[in-house]
Amino acid sequence: MNPSVLALVPALPLLAAFLLPLVPGAARRLVGPLTLLAVAFIGLNLWPMAQTEPMVLAVGNFAPPLGITFYADTVSALFVIAVALVTLVLWPWSGSDAGNLDRKQSLTLILAGACGGLAVSGDLFNVYVFYELAAVASFGLAAGARTAAAQIATFRYVVIGSLCSLLALLGITLIYVQTGTVNLAHLAQLAPHTLHNPLGLAAFFMILLGLGVKAELFLVNTWAPDVYATAEARVSGLLAGLVSKLALLAVARLLVLIFPLPEARDALLVLGMLGILSGEFAAFRARDVRRMLAWSSIAQLGAAFVAFAIPGPAGLAAGLAVALHHLLVKPALFLLADRWGGSLAQITGAARNSPVSATLFVLFILSMIGVPPLPGFWAKYLLLSGLAAQPQGLWWLAGAIILLTTVVEAVYLFRVIGALYGHDHRATPKSQSATAVIGSGVFAAVLLAIAFSAPLLALPLNRMAVQMADSAAYIARVLPPVLPGVAP
Amino acid sequence: MTEFTLYTFLAASLGLIAIGIGGVILSRNLFRIVLALSIAEAGGNLLLVLIGFRHDAIAPIIEPGRTMTTMVDSIPQAMVLTSIVIGAGVQALALALAIRARASYGTLDMGIMRARMEADINRVAGAEPAASLHAPARPMLTERKA
Repeated sequence: MNPSVLALVPALPLLAAFLLPLVPGAARRLVGPLTLLAVAFIGLNLWPMAQTEPMVLAVGNFAPPLGITFYADTVSALFVIAVALVTLVLWPWSGSDAGNLDRKQSLTLILAGACGGLAVSGDLFNVYVFYELAAVASFGLAAGARTAAAQIATFRYVVIGSLCSLLALLGITLIYVQTGTVNLAHLAQLAPHTLHNPLGLAAFFMILLGLGVKAELFLVNTWAPDVYATAEARVSGLLAGLVSKLALLAVARLLVLIFPLPEARDALLVLGMLGILSGEFAAFRARDVRRMLAWSSIAQLGAAFVAFAIPGPAGLAAGLAVALHHLLVKPALFLLADRWGGSLAQITGAARNSPVSATLFVLFILSMIGVPPLPGFWAKYLLLSGLAAQPQGLWWLAGAIILLTTVVEAVYLFRVIGALYGHDHRATPKSQSATAVIGSGVFAAVLLAIAFSAPLLALPLNRMAVQMADSAAYIARVLPPVLPGVAP
Repeated sequence: MTEFTLYTFLAASLGLIAIGIGGVILSRNLFRIVLALSIAEAGGNLLLVLIGFRHDAIAPIIEPGRTMTTMVDSIPQAMVLTSIVIGAGVQALALALAIRARASYGTLDMGIMRARMEADINRVAGAEPAASLHAPARPMLTERKA
């Protein structure tokens, strides 16, 4: 396959978003889903090729380190597929009026394009641009509920987001001053001499805070509960499930390629632990299901940060497992929380009206707590065994925190199950909408498929982590060594 | 322009960033927050332009017949253009949201707006407002048994 198809991953959805309002008639509603299917098809084709050798595209034939580089290894291919399919499941099929629906579909396509771009980008400034694009699209989607509460929640999100993006830009500036390049492979080559010093670390922390806004990193996640409580369910699902994972992937790439330093890992570990603690206890105190899910998503992304902090392929495998599990579970739970998002008193006895949805809810909750053989168990198992393999100290503390907060998690999640199957003659719980049942049913099917094939998936996951952890191979693939006597 | 003016500009850009971040954190008025944000972004953009700047260099355009001399670094200029566009878009969006929010709540005070947003969220969710943070956590089911 020609490497230039890589450029289609971000370009196709962005173009479709631009052209969508111009397409006449009923065909307009097909533009988005067809584009996403095309992106998924590209991702599926990338997958086998990326396993043998990652694909590199120098945009405009400007050889790296000049120009923009797109790089697709197995992880990128997986995330491209995930972006396309998750967006398709959470696609806005219907809206209040046609113009509003057009805008929502365009914004969702922009979000998908920016996320795809984040997955394949091999250039630090390009990562920043795609990240900002995803940010602007998600601001628009979050305010799309059009209530006053949603507008204030989004305003706070905009302020925190753009302030931290400024920090990220300053970090990139610092890195550029030190090295004179923003190409990730070139940076990886130069980092040991130019960036492994206090200035480089300061740049890393700035970029970490910048990207951390979307990844719900502790300190910059205060927007999340309000936005998830006021936005539409599928938007909350997209932000918590998809966008956070791509930000996480960008942080992991920086950590592997440019800053494989103990100080950077410690920062991730400590912020992750604080995220877990604050998220789980706030979720315990939350009075409605939606904000409970928002806080628990902060806790789970904290666990993903802890996992990515573990050095070597073991950490990447654990991080990918935790992140992908969250990607499957949280959007589905937010979809179900569309009707069941209120206080527990509101949803008491809801299982009587919609038994299938209640069963799905229980399935996702059990996976989140980590009940074997569901994928959540394997994610936590990889994470804990990775932490236990490290020399004691903060690592073991992190393991202890994860085990302890699992109990807290179980308490507040079982409280919801108790309410769903409880009985109260005064309560009038709503029954589930068809879109929520179908959407979460798709996620549940994937979850169960993974549960049944878990032993088969260990090998590909490990191979993916080993490929991602090999920074020397990344450099060699993007910047091939010029052999003496061979014309380039 | 000499080295001295370059350092003055560097100090000015860092000062703008500090003023902007301070303004975002300390202001309660929505419009002032947006203003502070744009000041901080101006500082960031100025810094980005400055790192590529050389006081003895020419614009980075290669013309036939011109001898090669030192040129300013063009990559930060390309980056700053992108960053200005993003900043302008985000500020417009923030202002639009502020106008909408003012139309619904009739105020621009962040503190009041947050309290009303909290009340709105609780009303929609049918949850009672959170008690004092120092009160012990109660299970959400207690009122049901009464």
